[in-house]
Amino acid sequence: MKLLVAALFLPLFPFSILLNGVLSRLRSPLARFLLLLLWPQIGIFVLHAQPVPEGFVAWSLLSSGFYALRLLAVRDLGLWAGFLASSSLSLIWLGDVANDFNMHIFAFWFSLPAAMLSLLAGALARRFGAAYAGLYGGLASNAPRLSGLLVFTLLAAIATPPSPGFFAMLGLLHGAGTAPAVLVIWLLWGWAAIRLIQGFLSGNHDAPPVMDIGKGGTLFFACFLGIIVVAGIYLTGGAL
Amino acid sequence: MSIDGLMPLCIVLLPMLSALLITLGPSGTQRRVARLSVGISALTFILSAASLVSYATHPHPQWLSSGFSWGSLYLDPLSSVMAVAVAGISFVVHVYAVRYMAEEPGYGRFYTLLDLMTGTILLMVAAGDLITLLVAWHLIGVLLYFLLGHDLERPAAQRYAFWTFFTYRIGDLPLILAAVLLYKSYDTFSLPLLFERIAATPDAYLVFGMPLTIAVGLLVALAAFARSAQFPLHTWLPYTMEGPTPVSALMHAGIVNAGGFIINRFAPVFMHAGGVLHLVFAVGLVTAVMGSILMLTQNDIKKSLGYSTMGQMGFMFVECGVGAFSLAIYHLIAHGLFKGTLFLGAGSVISDARKQDGVPHDDVYTFVVERKPVASRLPWMLAAVVTVVVPFLVLGLSRWLVGGDFVGQQGAVILLFFGWATGAQLLFATYRLRAENPWRTMAMIILSLVIVVAGYTLIEHTFDLFMYPDRAIRERIYAAASIPLATFDPLVAILTVMIVVGWLATYYAAASGKPRSAALSPARLVLYSLISREFYAADVYALAAQKVLALSKRMNVWLRWL
Repeated sequence: MKLLVAALFLPLFPFSILLNGVLSRLRSPLARFLLLLLWPQIGIFVLHAQPVPEGFVAWSLLSSGFYALRLLAVRDLGLWAGFLASSSLSLIWLGDVANDFNMHIFAFWFSLPAAMLSLLAGALARRFGAAYAGLYGGLASNAPRLSGLLVFTLLAAIATPPSPGFFAMLGLLHGAGTAPAVLVIWLLWGWAAIRLIQGFLSGNHDAPPVMDIGKGGTLFFACFLGIIVVAGIYLTGGAL
Repeated sequence: MSIDGLMPLCIVLLPMLSALLITLGPSGTQRRVARLSVGISALTFILSAASLVSYATHPHPQWLSSGFSWGSLYLDPLSSVMAVAVAGISFVVHVYAVRYMAEEPGYGRFYTLLDLMTGTILLMVAAGDLITLLVAWHLIGVLLYFLLGHDLERPAAQRYAFWTFFTYRIGDLPLILAAVLLYKSYDTFSLPLLFERIAATPDAYLVFGMPLTIAVGLLVALAAFARSAQFPLHTWLPYTMEGPTPVSALMHAGIVNAGGFIINRFAPVFMHAGGVLHLVFAVGLVTAVMGSILMLTQNDIKKSLGYSTMGQMGFMFVECGVGAFSLAIYHLIAHGLFKGTLFLGAGSVISDARKQDGVPHDDVYTFVVERKPVASRLPWMLAAVVTVVVPFLVLGLSRWLVGGDFVGQQGAVILLFFGWATGAQLLFATYRLRAENPWRTMAMIILSLVIVVAGYTLIEHTFDLFMYPDRAIRERIYAAASIPLATFDPLVAILTVMIVVGWLATYYAAASGKPRSAALSPARLVLYSLISREFYAADVYALAAQKVLALSKRMNVWLRWL
């Protein structure tokens, strides 16, 4: 029973529908941000160093792969963040569940970039009415600071080095049987992220000019990303 | 940390510092950005050259720890030589881009990315542990994507930048798996320590029933195939011309060579993975042939250069496959310099060709209108004998002068074989040239061939001694790449006979001057359509990608996007 409850918070399909359903109904980006951060932590508390049966390992891989595949066709940034969280948080089941601290950290590294993406989705929706890739191209020339933050956060979300997710992913590749599947899922994240980046950044800008985010906000967000990277290198180094 | 130890750190950090200064500095003119970036690039090159000289005078590999489990640098012949090559090519590209990119939007962004790319490549070649190597290897693909897709308004640039990114990601994954396997087995990230432990117990671990060294060798080779555009993972390379020309030059001269570098870096693994070296040889050979065929059928000079790079990468893998690891590095540096020059000069060539096509007039026009003597050729039989015999003698003698015992080394024999075929190609081209004094032309070409081959052999031999000073290691790599003599000797004999007969037939056909049949056979037409569609490799990938995307959409619709 505990495992099934944990499967709700470290979302395995079909339980993951609940997380994505709640995310799609929340209007406030801050509420989405907090939900994405807290949701998996509850799962780790519930799991609490309980051994994971083999069946759950296979289930987590299938669920993660399923969401990674579905991610390819998603154009809405908020939805994308939710699907990515569903895919990446499923992989926590492959981690060292005996070590509670590491698990909390891993969950945090996987959910934080997705949560930050939901904040950026809010910023885009305020400007364009929707955070939809391909709706208006050419964001890079119209709002370069927002574009830069979007790119860096997306890269962190797909575990690009030196983001903490990269080291967390390396920590998950210990099983010879599961490692190839994890790598394929990682490949799909990269594909999906580039499709999204191209949808937002490239092309001629057709939309009316919008206000870019301020220098202060950019600096704050960038510093936050930098702190996460440094903290990830320091904290997750021990998990390798 | 000593000055010698500080230098590699500065070499890696300087370009990154430049990128940071450009990004955070006051938004000034293009001139400020260019001055800063080019200046730091020049300094990086000077430091790299100084580091190489310093290493050559005190040749002792140095492992520079960061104090953490990763982030270390390794100063050895491979990293010293590669750093100079990378910094040098990057410096030339920096200078070229100052004016070339002047009218493009995103000048500062371009130089930031270029500096980051330079720093990351330098980090890759100097990486002293598995994690640093992986971080740099992975980041190169990401940065290359943004450099190739620099023009955000051109859909073609974005499309082919994505192709490159995706293929590079495919190449990242086997290397990650190889690193994980090595760490789990030998319990260290440090490359020198890892190689020591592999040398001590190479067969101690098994993966899926095969020795770990074979499994790791295979994974590293797969990563190298994707990174260096080996068939069938080559489709991205010819289309990267959609990116800015300086990026094409940097990529074809430097980034694409990473496959040869990584195989050299893991030489201590490949010493125990002979079967993988045979695979590397086969893939390299197929790629060299495919690349050369596709190059000959292109009418776009840049795409032709792209396929030429593919062919050259194939040759580089052939060299690795026969155990000539240092030669592959020598090849990649030489190719980098030549190809970089060709790319940077391609625009001028295209401009000149628009004014004057350079096609020579026929004999009648030359004699009657230009009043010049009609050019002639040597007797075909004599030219054929010269073509077959002279390269063989020149290559054999020059190799004998530096090596002596090459007959016993299969790798050396195969390379001589390639050299012989290339020399023969040169002489055949000379024969077809038609000259006023064909004897003098042929004599001058043979003299040039002797100088080039002797110089090349001498440099390559010195380079080999610098890269792999331990004779035992060189011999073990050659031994790993060897195949049984009972197979090797007949194979070489059959190929030799085929080539000699082929050359004789070619000479006879060229001398007899028989007109080609106007109608092409159906088989030839099929072959031509295959080649002109580039063997449908890109079409197959595009179709597969569409199927996956369609499946993704269908699943989302079924599940109402939840």
